[in-house]
Amino acid sequence: MPNAILDPTGRAGVAAAPRPGLLLATRRPALSGLRVGLMDNTKHNAALLLHEIGKLLVAEHGLAAVTVEATKANFAAPAPAELIERYRQDCDVVITGVGDCGSCSASAVADGILFEQAGVPAAVICSDAFVVTADAMAELRGAAGYHYARTAHPVAVLTTEQVQQRAKQLLPEVVAILRGDSGGRPPGSAQSARQ
Amino acid sequence: MTQAATDLDPDAAQAAIEHCYEQGWSDGLPLVPATRPLVDRFLAAARRSGGEVIGSLPQLDRTVTVELAAINAAMAGCLPEYFPVVLAAWEALMHERAALGGGWQSTSGPAPLLVVNGPVRAELGFNATGGVFGPGFRPNATIARAIGLIVRNAYGIHPHELEQATQGLPGRWSICLAENEEDSPWPPLAGEAGLPTDASAVSATLLRTCEFVDNRHTASAEQLLADFADTIGRSGAWIFRNASAGIVFCPEHAQLLAGAGFTRAGVRAWLAERCGRSTTDLARVGKDGCDHNGVRMPASGDSGEFQRMLPNAERQNLLIAVAGARNAGISMVVRLFGNWSGTAVPISVANQEES
Repeated sequence: MPNAILDPTGRAGVAAAPRPGLLLATRRPALSGLRVGLMDNTKHNAALLLHEIGKLLVAEHGLAAVTVEATKANFAAPAPAELIERYRQDCDVVITGVGDCGSCSASAVADGILFEQAGVPAAVICSDAFVVTADAMAELRGAAGYHYARTAHPVAVLTTEQVQQRAKQLLPEVVAILRGDSGGRPPGSAQSARQ
Repeated sequence: MTQAATDLDPDAAQAAIEHCYEQGWSDGLPLVPATRPLVDRFLAAARRSGGEVIGSLPQLDRTVTVELAAINAAMAGCLPEYFPVVLAAWEALMHERAALGGGWQSTSGPAPLLVVNGPVRAELGFNATGGVFGPGFRPNATIARAIGLIVRNAYGIHPHELEQATQGLPGRWSICLAENEEDSPWPPLAGEAGLPTDASAVSATLLRTCEFVDNRHTASAEQLLADFADTIGRSGAWIFRNASAGIVFCPEHAQLLAGAGFTRAGVRAWLAERCGRSTTDLARVGKDGCDHNGVRMPASGDSGEFQRMLPNAERQNLLIAVAGARNAGISMVVRLFGNWSGTAVPISVANQEES
């Protein structure tokens, strides 16, 4: 009997065990009067894009106000628990991004899932050049198929006016994600969303 | 001892290699299939417990143990006696901020630079001289490759998935230099980083690329350094307020500089003052200003003011090593991804006395 070939991943058998579908936060079909939080990740134009979307949510969808507008210091890592908690206390829904690089796109999705787990519906915004890595992170976090808003790459080179235009373009999808409209995502689990 | 070629079973070896490809473990080149007896020899060579955790990426929920490092080192083609060097190289990389964060997933696709010092170079047969950035030497090639396989397999960071390198760079997972201490006029790099000057050790950082400086016809230290300053100060590699760099000097350049009285610190001080560009030059490429995160952006600069590239003259921001043959004045500027920790990790070859 020859010696077995050893697995270098440390994951032998792990992948075979399906992870239970992650429960997302309950969607908010009525956005009127809700408090929205914005969490940018230092990427150029991210804070501006979120700010513009926040303004549009208040002006066009009757949200009460932007109550937290903060920056996640380390774009490569998921947001620290204290920061998530701050949004959980002061916001009803959160918009975060922009996933615009190798590690920060994955991290933006991880942040969205952290918000969902804290009970806060989140709309994550990612550049469309990083869909694969964003999806890989969702799967890694037990939320395969997690729905986020995509925007055309690149974002960092846009002028202020172009960023405002992007905000307008993204608004319907952000709203759909937070409300759980069809085409947006699931009240329920990420898994059910995949079907 | 190598068995007589007639006793070996190449068909079985080929099937095992293909199995490794099918599992998605390979970096593209054939792997040595790792078995328990082989990996046990790696663990014995380092006298380390297989279960010890030596790295983790919480955002990916993955960890590296000594056992996983040994399996990947074996697959990379290392000999068991290289394993203490692999472990020291990995630990040295764990001193690098980028390697603990998102560096391995980055669009820049950085390459580790590993620099080996001390008696271990001769004991294991490292190349420190001709073609030191190139192929041809088992310890240099396989130890660098082992790091890449650990990132791929133990961290699960695969190209096009969690690894998002836009182009990557030549030499990723293949740059492991032994310093040419014999032809260097200066103490070993690990000595500069605070270890005894006769220590076997590894220093490591992450690179964005390498660029040669070929200058064979000046006898002036200042002219030679000015050539390095021009190359280091290029705008393309300059993306934040400041940028760090490194130089792997060939012996000829290092000796010329030392002959003129330059120590490593002297070289750094000279270059820190002179590497950079004028605001006008930077405006031409849209990098004359910085945003609130310190990222270089177009501003409205039109002054002749000189902007320094290096943040200061500390070794963390200008790594200096000596390697290569003593046959020409050809050195390499290396572009750091961030900066260097400025530290070196001793190699503990636990079973040296027994071998």
